[in-house]
Amino acid sequence: MKNRLLQAYKQAPWRLQLQWIGLFLLALVLVAAVTGVYLSISAQAAGAGRNIQSLEYQIEETNNQISDLTTNLAKAQSAEKMMAKAEEMGFHLLDPASAVYIEVPGFDPNAELVLAPPRVNILNEVPIIQSSYKSSLWDWFVKNIWQLPDSASEGGN
Amino acid sequence: MKPPFYMRYVIIALVCGILGVGIVVQMIRINYSPSARELIAKSQNYQGVEETVYPPRGTIYDRNGHVLATNQIAYEVGIDLKFITDPESIAFSAASLLDLNYADVFSLASTVKQEQDENRYYVLSSYVSEDKIAELQALKESYTERRLEQRTTTPSLSGLVWTPMEQRTYPEDDLASNVLGFYNYFSRETAQGVYGVEEAYNRLLTGKPENIFMPNDPYLVEALPEVDAGASLVLTIDREIQAMVEKALADAIDWSGAEGGTIIVSDPRTGEILAMASTPAFDPNKYWTYEETFPGPTPYNRAVGDAYEPGSVFKVITMAAALDAGVVEPSTTYNDAYGVYWVENTWPIYNWDGGAWGEQDMLGCMQHSLNVCLAHVAVDLLGEDLFYQYVQAFGFGRSTGIDLAGEANYPLRLPDNNQWVILDLATNSFGQGIAVTPIQMVMAVSAVANEGRMMAPHVVRSVVDNGQQYDVAPQVVSNPISAETAETLTDMLTVALEEEASGALVEGYSLAGKTGTGEIPTELGYTSTQTNTSFVGWGPSDDPQFVVYVWLEKPSISKWGSEVAAPVFQNVVEQLVVLMKIPPDNIRLALSAK
Repeated sequence: MKNRLLQAYKQAPWRLQLQWIGLFLLALVLVAAVTGVYLSISAQAAGAGRNIQSLEYQIEETNNQISDLTTNLAKAQSAEKMMAKAEEMGFHLLDPASAVYIEVPGFDPNAELVLAPPRVNILNEVPIIQSSYKSSLWDWFVKNIWQLPDSASEGGN
Repeated sequence: MKPPFYMRYVIIALVCGILGVGIVVQMIRINYSPSARELIAKSQNYQGVEETVYPPRGTIYDRNGHVLATNQIAYEVGIDLKFITDPESIAFSAASLLDLNYADVFSLASTVKQEQDENRYYVLSSYVSEDKIAELQALKESYTERRLEQRTTTPSLSGLVWTPMEQRTYPEDDLASNVLGFYNYFSRETAQGVYGVEEAYNRLLTGKPENIFMPNDPYLVEALPEVDAGASLVLTIDREIQAMVEKALADAIDWSGAEGGTIIVSDPRTGEILAMASTPAFDPNKYWTYEETFPGPTPYNRAVGDAYEPGSVFKVITMAAALDAGVVEPSTTYNDAYGVYWVENTWPIYNWDGGAWGEQDMLGCMQHSLNVCLAHVAVDLLGEDLFYQYVQAFGFGRSTGIDLAGEANYPLRLPDNNQWVILDLATNSFGQGIAVTPIQMVMAVSAVANEGRMMAPHVVRSVVDNGQQYDVAPQVVSNPISAETAETLTDMLTVALEEEASGALVEGYSLAGKTGTGEIPTELGYTSTQTNTSFVGWGPSDDPQFVVYVWLEKPSISKWGSEVAAPVFQNVVEQLVVLMKIPPDNIRLALSAK
């Protein structure tokens, strides 16, 4: 009788096999999913790394081009070349005796060259990246979830 | 009861187990073997490159934003032994396009290849121009095409590599080279600015090089940290004025036969140097020719690096001291009865022409540049204490502190020096026996042109660093004389120039100035017939906006400053007033009266 009762609760062998196969397949799917995600992220990271390298080269190349163009422009506009070009176009040095002077309101021949904004107190500047963008998930969790009861209780008082 | 084939299962399990354990043991053994360590060490070479990133050197602009010094890209050509397959072709291309020795390159490319574990990269040539690189690139491509057609492995330039690097460039060639200095960029590790602002501001211009590891593993790659560029400088130099002054100096040297010279144009109100020309001309783009251009002790910039006996231009200082101390007035007279002044009845002082000029007031003494009169003023009226007090107040005997490298300074011989004698006081009064640099003279005379305030001479107007501009504020060095004295002396020297009908006068403009003819001492004394001729002047007299100093060394056409330096001053000022947009006095006064 006892044996019979036990036997009544025992799973059929094929059911057990199906469960094991199901569990195995579930584990397999999980492993495959994790592997897939890992591979995808790795591929993206590698792609991003290569992109960074490529962009760094492009930046360097662009900077080199800017340097070259600046130099070429400066050479093309050198005092000697500008003088030669002016003479070629029929201009000549002004004869002081024939100069006509007129007053130009607001014109300051000694105005300072401005290449960049003047010096400012950088201590008063607001940080460009907000702190929330720099905190980790754990920081966020501690700040917003863990400490919530405290702040709630403070609010209750 | 054991299942069927039990032993077979046991044997298979044992074999698999032994195999597995064997594999693990072998893995551990390989991992800790000397070969593995060697392999790991080798792999380090391929993990990335540790490079020193040199920030771009700061640009130098003139006061109007014209580029005077900047950087352009040149290339470093080297051989990477890992990839060399055809040393002959590499040696041939390097010899024909880069002017390198064929045998040297060939032996480097072929023999070292056997020891490629240690040395993998060799520099063949630095700062190769873009044109040469384009030729190398074209040759490389043509070799590739030929190999594809002929299905061979040669010819090949594989292993010949080039990388860009910055090269300092001066787009205006030799313009303002004496102010700029140069940058000896050939070895990047030891490169530094030499002379001029390149040396004086070397640290600012250079920026801070950083060591950066650049991994090859894409998982480890990150954006390179931003390396701040060197600071840029805006100079007080005006390119147009500088070009004009340099041409005027070159013409003056051709015309006068002078051995060398310098011209300085400054703004007495701020101490800003608007132009500073000096001989010999030098192209800093070819800085390696320095020793040919400046043989022996030739100074790079005479304006700041060469001390000389200025002669009569120094009388401006003596007269300023006498007027300020109250020992003379413009109307004070001196009777030059014999054309000689005896110092303590021992040493005679003569006038420049050896003649006697009779009774002269102080204006006449300056107008006719009478040595005997100025010696009398210094010895009998001022005395050594007051005279040297004023001379030092005008900045002589110490550096001006101009922001250019290589400033010379000749110490004063003062009364407390054992070698000093009273004759020194007499000769110093008219600029002999005292050595000064042109920039010292300009700074001192600027005080007379700027209501008694002596401004610190400087060539940098602004520094642009980290995206911010720092403007240099003009600095007052001292007030050696009062504003009244400065005005009185300017009036005296304006009248003196006009009455003398000097060759320095410019029509329509009132100018104050003084000529100078300094005898050049030799080992036997003042026996040479050669002189230093100079002229210092400023204007417009009622509102001085410029000081111009001309010095021509040992002219052959004439030995007098009034005949050599004064016309050069006139030539410079005639063009300067146009470039500085200073109208003639009548127009300027009419405009300001509005």
